[in-house]
Amino acid sequence: MRQKLLNGLAGIVVALLIGAVVMLVQGYNPVETYLALFNYSLGSGYAFATMLKNSVPLILTGLSAAVAFGSGAINLGQPGQLLMGALAATVAGLYLDLPPAVMIPTLLIAAALGGMAWSGVAALMRRWFNMDEFITTLMLNMIADFFTYWAISYPFFDKGANSPMTPPISRAGWMPEIGRFNTSVLVMLLAFIVTWFISTRTTAGYEWRISGQNSLFARLGGVNTSKNYMLVMLMTGVLAGLAGGLIVMAGPHRFIKDIGANYAWDGVMVAMVANNGIIATLLYGLFFATLQTGALGMELITAVPRELIMVLQAIVLLVVMAGRSYFDIIANKLAERQKTRERVA
Amino acid sequence: MGNLIEMRNIVKVFPPSVVALDDVTVDFEEGEIHAIVGENGAGKSTLMKILYGLESATSGEIYHKGRRLNIRSTKEAIASGIGMVHQEIMLVPEYTVWQNVVLGMEPVNWFGRIDEKRARQQVQERIDEYHFNLDPDALVSDISVAARQKVEILKLLYRNVLTLILDEPTSVLTPQEIPRLFDELRRLRDSGHTILFISHHLDEVLELSDRITVLRRGKKIGTVQADQTSKEELAQMMVGREVLFTSLKQPCKPGRTVFELTDLSYTDPEGRKRLDGVNIHVRAHETVGIAGVEGNGQLELVNAIMGLLPIQEGRLVVDGQDLTHADILTRRGKISFVSQDRGRMSASLPASIKENVLMTHHRQGRFTKLMGLVLNNREAAAFAEEVREQFAVHMDGADAPFSSLSGGNQQKVILGRELLLNTPFVLLDQPTRGLDVGSIEYVHRQILAMREAGRAVLLISADLGELFRITDRILVLSRGRIVADLVTDETDINEVGYLMLEGKRNETEAA
Amino acid sequence: MRVAIGLINGMIAAATPILLAALGGTLTFYAGIFNIAMEGMMLGGAFFGVLGSYYFGSWVMGIISAIVGALIMALIFILFAITLKVDEFVTGIGLNLFALGTTTYLLRQIFSVKGAFAGPGIVPVPSVSIPLIRDIPVLGQILSGHNLIVYLTALITLAVAFAVFKTRFGLRLRAAGYNATSLQMSGVSTARVRVWSVLLCGVLCGLAGAYLSLGYVTLFSENMSAGRGWISLAAVILVNGHPIGIALISLLFGFADGLGLFMQQSLPSQFTSMVPYIATLIALFVYSIRKKKERVAA
Repeated sequence: MRQKLLNGLAGIVVALLIGAVVMLVQGYNPVETYLALFNYSLGSGYAFATMLKNSVPLILTGLSAAVAFGSGAINLGQPGQLLMGALAATVAGLYLDLPPAVMIPTLLIAAALGGMAWSGVAALMRRWFNMDEFITTLMLNMIADFFTYWAISYPFFDKGANSPMTPPISRAGWMPEIGRFNTSVLVMLLAFIVTWFISTRTTAGYEWRISGQNSLFARLGGVNTSKNYMLVMLMTGVLAGLAGGLIVMAGPHRFIKDIGANYAWDGVMVAMVANNGIIATLLYGLFFATLQTGALGMELITAVPRELIMVLQAIVLLVVMAGRSYFDIIANKLAERQKTRERVA
Repeated sequence: MGNLIEMRNIVKVFPPSVVALDDVTVDFEEGEIHAIVGENGAGKSTLMKILYGLESATSGEIYHKGRRLNIRSTKEAIASGIGMVHQEIMLVPEYTVWQNVVLGMEPVNWFGRIDEKRARQQVQERIDEYHFNLDPDALVSDISVAARQKVEILKLLYRNVLTLILDEPTSVLTPQEIPRLFDELRRLRDSGHTILFISHHLDEVLELSDRITVLRRGKKIGTVQADQTSKEELAQMMVGREVLFTSLKQPCKPGRTVFELTDLSYTDPEGRKRLDGVNIHVRAHETVGIAGVEGNGQLELVNAIMGLLPIQEGRLVVDGQDLTHADILTRRGKISFVSQDRGRMSASLPASIKENVLMTHHRQGRFTKLMGLVLNNREAAAFAEEVREQFAVHMDGADAPFSSLSGGNQQKVILGRELLLNTPFVLLDQPTRGLDVGSIEYVHRQILAMREAGRAVLLISADLGELFRITDRILVLSRGRIVADLVTDETDINEVGYLMLEGKRNETEAA
Repeated sequence: MRVAIGLINGMIAAATPILLAALGGTLTFYAGIFNIAMEGMMLGGAFFGVLGSYYFGSWVMGIISAIVGALIMALIFILFAITLKVDEFVTGIGLNLFALGTTTYLLRQIFSVKGAFAGPGIVPVPSVSIPLIRDIPVLGQILSGHNLIVYLTALITLAVAFAVFKTRFGLRLRAAGYNATSLQMSGVSTARVRVWSVLLCGVLCGLAGAYLSLGYVTLFSENMSAGRGWISLAAVILVNGHPIGIALISLLFGFADGLGLFMQQSLPSQFTSMVPYIATLIALFVYSIRKKKERVAA
């Protein structure tokens, strides 16, 4: 446990240092920049609330990827599932008119179903035709991208707008705010707790985890790996779809082009850095949300382009992953040296 | 004959704490066949790997023809004329014989294009020189295991290797192929080569070698002339105490038939018949062994029993229940299984010990609450404790990763988990492979205990000695067929060995 | 007739970047590396291609810069996946994200634009009009007039096939994938063979990127590789390696792309853009069904 924490922190520190070097080379002041970065994401109540809201899609898609990868299902379709979830919630939000207490859960369910349907397509293709879900989910991402683009440009297009987007959803479907905090955070935390519980405390989670580590062993042990695979794909589709729905309901309240599929790729990255750990995904998700939220302010104060954050994130991923492998190598070398010393002495 | 190679004061430590070689000094002469013997884990392979540059010694020196050598890679070893043939054949199955032989030393012309004609010719020359029976254009995947071994040796000879190291060369051969190999090796020795071979088959060692070095737990016990020692003396040096080569089991009266496999046949996707009308029955209070050279259908048999392979023809009935088309979970209600490849089939190495121990039990309603949906962690931990106590496992704690256990302890945990499923039938596939003497002893005692308790045990093993020690009956599997069903006490190793190869009795002997 | 010619030419043009990246992927595939970073290498190549062409005013420098840019990505892959032994899959994903971030960032920093850069200073790679051949009716219009890189690609395809199956390098390359231990035992450094395969993949993906930004169109836009790296990966997996097969499948995907453009007259553009990806799914479907039949038939 301690090693994981150490490894994560080291990775982050190294990445920030590299970022600082890049900034220096380009003539920016790293200290000022980082201060602005963290100020605009954690430095005030408003910033913190914004950061939390931004973390919602990141953590949800991260959980989706973490559960999938940890169970041996290579679901890389979170971007597409997110979009389909968002679309489902939007369409439901445009045509249904219910009191908020019913509307919000309904829209959330629509989003979940949208994501689940999309991951379900990939799962069925695997189940029936043995098509590798790695490729199918990637292709489905692109297809979902174009499909939703078409949907918001033609059938659900807001006639009064001059760029592709839908009209706003019914007011009843807007996620309410408590003070400065958006309730989408509550939904995310609930999903997190449920995911954590399933993963660590249930037999299903146990089976999924073992299947991900050694599926032959699980099968021989009597685990129904194909049924579990379906469940995992569907559940992770739900999480990604939920992310999409919440983006719409808590954010612009309508489906705008490029609404946030890159959250999903960042979510995949979060899961990888977290090594598919559920709690680690939450923590890393919050960290990356901090980086992304602060990026805007960083640009305002010191003119460092916010795209640098994208680079920093990839560096964190690579460095943490490298650190993980390297720690093992070093630990073994140290133990070997120790044992030789003991013997000679 | 002078010393060709001297290895002095070799020490090798594997992280974190395994001392594989403890100050070993040994020398090899030019033009001799020298055997290195010892039990599993004695350090034989490690010593030779150091000589071949696969491992680096933690300390110690190597001298070749009097000159100090620092062998850091196999390339350097080969440059000094030292080459090794491994136990697992390391060829590229998709390539032909000549491609495998010249790989890494290919004759080329312009643009790096391989001169295929020259390559074939050179390989053929070597084949003729050493009287190997090989076709340079044959695909390695199509030739026999013995032939593949020849290709490996040929590869070394092509590189002008004078010292050949062979790691358990007879483990992949049938009893008839072994004398042929020995002839080849003698011929090579007589033409000036030095043969070092690792083995734990004392009969073969005594037959073939000139000198024998015995290792035990990383230390060299001694080097003896083969014609001046005996099997008993060698065994004692290897184990350190009087070793009895006699059977362990007490007589036990078998009960009703628990395991019945009838007319099992299986043809693989390439059209080869892997199992042909196999009939096996095992009764309660009985241990039945299956002898056979690997690759004769054992894998398919195990997979068919466990449910990984659908049964196309035949019937499987265990404890009165027809399991022919049952799913794996249903079978597990009646069958416990210890596989030959722990890491691949019987455990998840990164998972904790507790998580490994839960498998299958969790599906049978133990250690779960709420209709089997939620795990009962406390009871799971208690169960792990129970396994630890009952099976004397040395572990750091149930939450430690399974990979932190030694091989022997891993096997104990697996045995514990499987046995505590309390099924009427137990299937064991090479359960003592790769274990140290103490663990092997332990596993054998457990198998006998199962037998006494009334279970039906089916043991697949490549170790004839093991089969003769603990089984009541021995079946011989050859080319997918059961060619003999013998009572252990009424047969001997030679008969079984012959059956394993020829698939029928030795007619001349029977007469 | 003109439509058919247009379709075929479009097919060849669209297939080119996919084919180049797939050839690179084939090399790493044969070496036993699970390389999914073609997308990132291609994107890096596309950006640096524009950079080089713009600043040096020459398309030759553009191509060279593109290759250098992709090689930088390849070196990062080598550093993490081979030297530091990080999981190849993760490294690939990380590299793709890194390439996306870096090119977007640099686009902003260097050219001070967001979205795309299409300045007049970019020198595109020229098309080649072959004398004599261009005058042949019908066939002439297909064989002549393509971008230089397209012809290069045809030569490269043959060169790769030759290298993989006839040379020492190829024998060792495939051995690294079939049985790395065997190769290592033969005295050849498997790591070195793999490094070379990644570097060559970088070169090929760099060329593919150069084609995207200096041949197919003359601009760089964010994420312009648009999933072509994934399609080339699908090609490698479906064909299981052989360069000629890769060429055929790339033509198929190129055709799908071209078909999409053609269909734009009747369908909304979003649906036509989907065509290559749907085509990939169909190809995977056919492949998987065939594999299943083989297994059952026995």
